[in-house]
Amino acid sequence: MKVREVIEKALEWLLVFLMSVLVLDVLWQVISRYILSSPSSYTDELAGFLLIWVGLFGAAYVAGKREHLAIDLLLQRSSKKRRFLLEITISVIVIMFAIAVMIIGGSWLVYTRFFLSVKSAALGLPLGVVYLVLPISGLLIVYFDIDNICNFIKNNSEN
Amino acid sequence: MEYLGVLVLVLSFVILLIIGVPIAFSIGVSGILTMLVSIDIIPALTTFSHRMATGLDSFALLAIPFFILAGNIMNRGGIAIRLIDFARVLVGGIPGGVAVVNVLANMLFGAISGSAVASASAIGTIMQPEMKKEGYSENFSAAVNITSATTGMSIPPSNILIVYSLASGGVSITALFLAGYIPGILTGIGIIITALTMLIYKKDGTKAAIKGLGFIALIITSLLLLLKGIIFSKATFSDGVNKIMLIISLSVFCVWFIFKTIKNKERAVEGARRLLDAIPSLFMLVIVIGGILAGLFTATEASAIAVLYSLILAFIYREISFKDLPNIILRSVKTTGIVMLLVATSLALSWIMAYENIPQNVSRSIISLTDNPFMIMLLINIILLMVGVFMDMTPAVLIFTPIFLPIVTALGIDPIHFGIIMVLNLSVGLCTPPVGSVLFIGCSVANLSIDKVIKPLIPMFISMVVVLLLVTYIPEIALWLPKSLGF
Repeated sequence: MKVREVIEKALEWLLVFLMSVLVLDVLWQVISRYILSSPSSYTDELAGFLLIWVGLFGAAYVAGKREHLAIDLLLQRSSKKRRFLLEITISVIVIMFAIAVMIIGGSWLVYTRFFLSVKSAALGLPLGVVYLVLPISGLLIVYFDIDNICNFIKNNSEN
Repeated sequence: MEYLGVLVLVLSFVILLIIGVPIAFSIGVSGILTMLVSIDIIPALTTFSHRMATGLDSFALLAIPFFILAGNIMNRGGIAIRLIDFARVLVGGIPGGVAVVNVLANMLFGAISGSAVASASAIGTIMQPEMKKEGYSENFSAAVNITSATTGMSIPPSNILIVYSLASGGVSITALFLAGYIPGILTGIGIIITALTMLIYKKDGTKAAIKGLGFIALIITSLLLLLKGIIFSKATFSDGVNKIMLIISLSVFCVWFIFKTIKNKERAVEGARRLLDAIPSLFMLVIVIGGILAGLFTATEASAIAVLYSLILAFIYREISFKDLPNIILRSVKTTGIVMLLVATSLALSWIMAYENIPQNVSRSIISLTDNPFMIMLLINIILLMVGVFMDMTPAVLIFTPIFLPIVTALGIDPIHFGIIMVLNLSVGLCTPPVGSVLFIGCSVANLSIDKVIKPLIPMFISMVVVLLLVTYIPEIALWLPKSLGF
């Protein structure tokens, strides 16, 4: 298996796991309130953090598959050459966003939260750990999209 | 200087969209560029990523992935076919019934799931071949399925109303859900009338639309007359007369029903069996909406329970095995990833817009154009319709709610009412290219290319816009139900 396939498979299992935990967490919140009649204090906070993780890791996964919603009118009406150039431009813009906001901005955010040692209210989890998802999913997007660009170039030179 | 931010924002966003950069990234990049007009680069990047992360950290938003997951389970779990059977028993017998069944099944699916995409694919997969077998044109069938799937956006539970509640700064989700029922049902009725008119005149184009409009106008006037009549009768006759009229009409209906049942016993038995079969699926409605209304749990908790209940149903109907689960979850996570990145970047963008005072500037320029409430609502509707064509519903709601809501509340319009207007409005955009998720899924389950479906879609769009205008200018349509239940 190629490196990319291994990463994608691992990401898939991570996402399925996180989503299942998310469902169980909220169900547990209802059960603990009505059946055990002792509302748990941490499910609410955990659910919010898990949603950030599922949302951003999911976004990185979908970005690798190039399945984010886009207007592909211009792409469809372009010649092969222009299409190739457009695809590369799009990938480069996505990579730049991922590097600037998710990796640089995200790492800075993680660093300051660790530096200030901010902890979450109920779980006592360092917020830096929660926000780590930003730079990690940024890295994943960059990796996937560089790989996609390589594939475009390879396909283009074959034709 | 005041307009530099707006200029950078709009220009960069339009260019990125046209090139074909995914919408979520277009929003993000143009947001960053707008920020750089007034903020240094490192604080800008950090703030943007912070806004993205904290934007997602919301318990209300959690309902979205859960309703997506529940929709995907229902899609596979044999619930769709039972709803279709139920609809067939109710309306299958009338002329053009299969088209009506399609609309009604989509409305029922919308009433138990929060996603129009799941509805269009679940109902369309079954109804498309069936309508073809009955001799309906494929393009027409797909158009009926696509437009009627959007009724699920206003009929609760609805993901987009949850997004609106977030964007509007906490309008009650329960009140929004209640307000969505009648407009959603009206949209469905509008589509049914248009579809039947198209069938009667066997025309796809605008001619049918004009005739359909005539019918809608006729029915609305007769309904209004009926309403006036009821009010009039209350004023002059005693209560007893009304009661006697009600009893007479009910007993006539009962006699007719019993007569019908005795006449074709087999069909009645079959019908009863199908109705009973659909009850567990429809019970979802009671659990989710009933639970929220009774205050037993929040919308988010209801959505998690919807996941659990749809799983139980799917296992009982024996349509899903444990091995299928990871795949269903992964598909839901993918949709969640798409929606959540849109939510994250849109929320960061609307923070920047607020920082740059863009909403105030826009509302000032709209109010300087006209101060007639009627015209302002028309203007906002037209802008939103155009936005809906080029933008997905979620970012459109997140970006334009903070801009328009202050204007309309200043005009005295209820935020609940405006939410429904917005959703009905952007629902039209779900069925138009170049960005129409329901259109795409509807065409792909029907194996049709998009350009073929456009022609029969046009009359349906007109009926959707007519309902939109009705809901816009008659606030009671949306507000009556939540108001009468005390919201």
